Amino acid sequence: MEKNIIIAGFGGQGVLLCGKILAKIFMLNNKKVTWYPCYGSEMRGGAVNCEIVVSDEEVTSVHKKQTDILLTLNEISFKKLSPNVKKDGIIIANSSMIKNTSLNKAIRLIKAPISDMALSLGNIKTTNIIALGVLSKLFDNIDFSGISNIIKDLFPKEKSMLANLNIEAFMLGCKFKPEAI
Amino acid sequence: MQIYKIPESLRKDTNFTFCAGCGHGVAIRSLCECIDELNLREKALAMVGVGCSAFLYHFLNIDSLECPHGRATAEAAGAKRVNPDKFVFTYQGDGDFAAIGLTESFYAGIRGENITTICINNNNYGMTGGQMGPTTLIGQVTTTTPYGRSAELNGYPLKIAEHIAMLEGTAFSARVSLDSVPNIIKAKEAIKKACEVQVKKLGFGFVEILSSCPTNWRMTPYEANEHIREKVVKEFPLGIFKNILEK
Amino acid sequence: MTLDLIKGNIAIAQAAFDAGCNSYFAYPITPQSEIGEYLGAIMPKANRVYVCAESEIASINMCIGSAATGGTPMTSSSSCAISLMQEGLSYACAQELPIVVASVMRAGPGLGNIYPSQADYNQAVKGGGNGDYNIIVLAPGNVQECIDYTHRAFYLAKKYRNPVFILSDGLIGQMMEPAEFTKYPYEDIDNSDWILSGAKGREPRIIRSLSETGEMHHERVKKLFQKYKTIEENEVLYKEYFTDDADIIVVSFGSLSRNVKGAVKKCREQGIKVGAFRPVTLYPFPSKKLYELSKTAKKFIVAEMNMGQMINDVKVAVKGADVDFIGRSAGDWLDIDEIVDCVKESAGGIYANI
Repeated sequence: MEKNIIIAGFGGQGVLLCGKILAKIFMLNNKKVTWYPCYGSEMRGGAVNCEIVVSDEEVTSVHKKQTDILLTLNEISFKKLSPNVKKDGIIIANSSMIKNTSLNKAIRLIKAPISDMALSLGNIKTTNIIALGVLSKLFDNIDFSGISNIIKDLFPKEKSMLANLNIEAFMLGCKFKPEAI
Repeated sequence: MQIYKIPESLRKDTNFTFCAGCGHGVAIRSLCECIDELNLREKALAMVGVGCSAFLYHFLNIDSLECPHGRATAEAAGAKRVNPDKFVFTYQGDGDFAAIGLTESFYAGIRGENITTICINNNNYGMTGGQMGPTTLIGQVTTTTPYGRSAELNGYPLKIAEHIAMLEGTAFSARVSLDSVPNIIKAKEAIKKACEVQVKKLGFGFVEILSSCPTNWRMTPYEANEHIREKVVKEFPLGIFKNILEK
Repeated sequence: MTLDLIKGNIAIAQAAFDAGCNSYFAYPITPQSEIGEYLGAIMPKANRVYVCAESEIASINMCIGSAATGGTPMTSSSSCAISLMQEGLSYACAQELPIVVASVMRAGPGLGNIYPSQADYNQAVKGGGNGDYNIIVLAPGNVQECIDYTHRAFYLAKKYRNPVFILSDGLIGQMMEPAEFTKYPYEDIDNSDWILSGAKGREPRIIRSLSETGEMHHERVKKLFQKYKTIEENEVLYKEYFTDDADIIVVSFGSLSRNVKGAVKKCREQGIKVGAFRPVTLYPFPSKKLYELSKTAKKFIVAEMNMGQMINDVKVAVKGADVDFIGRSAGDWLDIDEIVDCVKESAGGIYANI
């Protein structure tokens, strides 16, 4: 079974990196996976998103019409991309930035104040990694323990403080308990 | 005593096939003498343009690549970059170098490609039968300007060597003429310098050679050389416009 | 096996480096600029040639200069800029020069759109240069194939002294997928008997395309076509998926073949005997195999992200068999369900109960 995840937000919120780390985690779990970014004019400010497709067999379509899981970090992408989420899909919304979370169909919606959580860590740039922590809880069979090394590889040695901060950010996201629905 | 002989860089089994009075033969011979004198023949690679200049590879005792019209300096750049120890030169007409290939030509100077270019300026497209080219003089009658080149319709002749001299990466740029023996001697000196700057890895070496085209100018060889002296050098003054060897 | 998450464009760049590309000449264009950016970082460090050319006209001609004098050049570009290379490609074919070109397709005609498309099938396979010539075209369908076929492209270019295209698109170029840079069994090919290396102790060599007479030119082109015949006999590559018992075969190339595979799976679940066929070499085209398949399959559907280009080669190959088409010039890739619907519609004439 193929499952697709779209991660979306403003340029600068780190959604592409967030998606790459997730794709790498899937790879380390011996899954087949693809990562595909929206690219082009959107890169220069405005909305950015990437789509990850994970499967046990070779991924077919890397860019699908309908979405299984949508992680949105800002309101524009919530508005634009939530209508494509499947009925039995899941949306994670960064409630710090998205005030209007109305949907035209009943979809499981997890509201998490991700930007506020990042601010509580003292660095808004950790938003994407906290979001990944929140997202990780949706994958019971995936081992996320490889994430520390992936994050460490992202930073040069002299910036290991930032690596540690991001690992902390991931843990913070994992601890997030959504309201029961 | 100096004994006349065919340069090693020229094939001994062919004769030039250029029109009577054409400057190509003298230009090629001068170039080959320079290559011989600098002992470059065995590592020389010729990048040959399209036009009358394309005949060059028939006469050279040198490895040659026939390049698309205007692209010789780009091909020379590719060749020289992967073979920095070879001697790479282009031999082109003014139509090839300065009209269809102007971008590639300028970038050889802009990037300071370590190559040498000989550009024959004969005020028209010779091979195709004497049409207006980038260096056709104002008022000059060609097959495509039967009433004479008008600046209003066709713009102005391009002063190639001066423009090439303005580029940072150019090491040597000169305009010479083949109309008389003293000028031929000067032409050879300029060609040699344009070769030397490559050997010394100083950048782009360029020589524009004013050359007569009696056939398309509808003149005798003698009249054609007179024409260069009286008219052509007024538009295209002779001289060395850049020479970093003497800096 | 050590997999890494690799972007299609980076896959081509690193594979070119690994395959021995010693000179890269290009001008940037979306969606392939990562190739130049990546090589711009690694080529100079390895003492290899890297030139930011002033245009694609210059970059293909720099490739010619490099190839003719013993280099192993590559250039990369996209659609409207590959158009600028057509003159050089015609010369490179005529002069039999080994040049690898990575063409990462975006939409056209004209400036078109930076999003992926497959509308340059004809540009690559039929060419826009003058004269009788063929370019070998390899179309990868995933990131691993970007690596595999880049290595193969360099090998074939040298083996046949011919330009080779890696025909990718913005989708594979921009996507990431687990893949691996491995070693390849391709042997080194000696070029010392033809390259321009300086006429030392031998007659000078001339690499040219001009012929003195029409007869001489015909002989030259005939020789080229003998080479193409050898290529057609030996270098055809394709992939099949459930074609053995298929009533309907969907033919697609490159990245779209992934969606076609998805559609085949879905159709099979619904009891429709569908298979997928993917030419990997677009030239030489797997015509023989398609003709063979036409003896058992009842119908072909060609799916392309263009308005119908490869379909012409399929039609010629299957010699009169039924061929339907589904395609779109740009925008979102044909969705699996769209392809399934098209198959079902085509199947209407075959299965009474659909």
